[in-house]
Amino acid sequence: MATEQELSDFLKSVEKRAFKRSVYHVRNEEAALDIVQDSMLKLAEHYGDKPAAELPMLYQRILSNCTLDWFRRQKTRNALFSSMSDFEGPGEDGMDFDLLEAYSGPEDGERAESAEDLTRRAQIFRSIEAEIAELPPRQREAFLMRYWEEMDVAETAAAMGCSEGSVKTHCFRAIHTLSKALKAKGIEP
Amino acid sequence: MNTVQTPSPQAEAAAERFALRVTARLSSGTDELPYDITERLRASRMQALAKRKKAVAPARLAAPAVVHAGGGSAALGRGGHHDGNSEGGSWWNALVSAVPLLALMAGLVMINIAQDESSVHDVAEVDAALLTDDLPPAAYADPGFVQFLKTSAQAPSR
Repeated sequence: MATEQELSDFLKSVEKRAFKRSVYHVRNEEAALDIVQDSMLKLAEHYGDKPAAELPMLYQRILSNCTLDWFRRQKTRNALFSSMSDFEGPGEDGMDFDLLEAYSGPEDGERAESAEDLTRRAQIFRSIEAEIAELPPRQREAFLMRYWEEMDVAETAAAMGCSEGSVKTHCFRAIHTLSKALKAKGIEP
Repeated sequence: MNTVQTPSPQAEAAAERFALRVTARLSSGTDELPYDITERLRASRMQALAKRKKAVAPARLAAPAVVHAGGGSAALGRGGHHDGNSEGGSWWNALVSAVPLLALMAGLVMINIAQDESSVHDVAEVDAALLTDDLPPAAYADPGFVQFLKTSAQAPSR
């Protein structure tokens, strides 16, 4: 049985990645926070007494289900009310990039260099995030579970409810797409 | 399509290295999440841990929980007794928690009896007064006497 400390440590270790993965999926920070909160509550309430080794798998499943639930709720809501996103202006990403470029103007030696590094790193991070968000959902899920959550192929397959072969295919296609897209942007991760 | 599904070992290794570089970038970026988001994540974690306690507590601490519940409701009878002595204790507590209810019932019955008695006593007093009076009770049934009482009661006021 996982002790409270073990559960706490586990949640602490996954919460940021879980949040980011939800953001890539639902593209809304508030919704992603809600999803992560729901998934943590469900894990603690229903599986708080499971051994610590089983928690990662259980949590991945719960997180996927919570995300699916969110999409289902959105679908129902959109059927009732018109989607507000239709009225929003075009891409916010462009604005963010402009802002960063505006702030990267060098003034004095070392500080300017480190600021440039910082900006460059942030830009690479944003580009990678954007490309990951563009991946098909199953490919993204497989890629992130396999390499970011560091689960092996069998675990990823079990969490996604598909065969190991499918996981390998999803991952390889995701990597292929990412490397092509990043190369096109001139980014070397 | 076939090339995608069955990559060569070298390609696979290269792909893996690329994937690990990408996720390393993601990790370093994710470590610098804004303060409000990390705080909300922390709050969610605390909430989840608090929920866990409630879910696990009844299974592990069943007997003391029952004793505490009994002790709470039977505070009138014996507030301080919390020695969690398994089943005997819980029976005793159930019994003790019934004491206030029994006291209430007994009180209601006593009040009922007292009221009955007092009404019987009042009637008896009236009867006794009528019977010990100089005037015979039959006089009250006589319409002429009633009329006499009315006129004699009005007379002094004139």
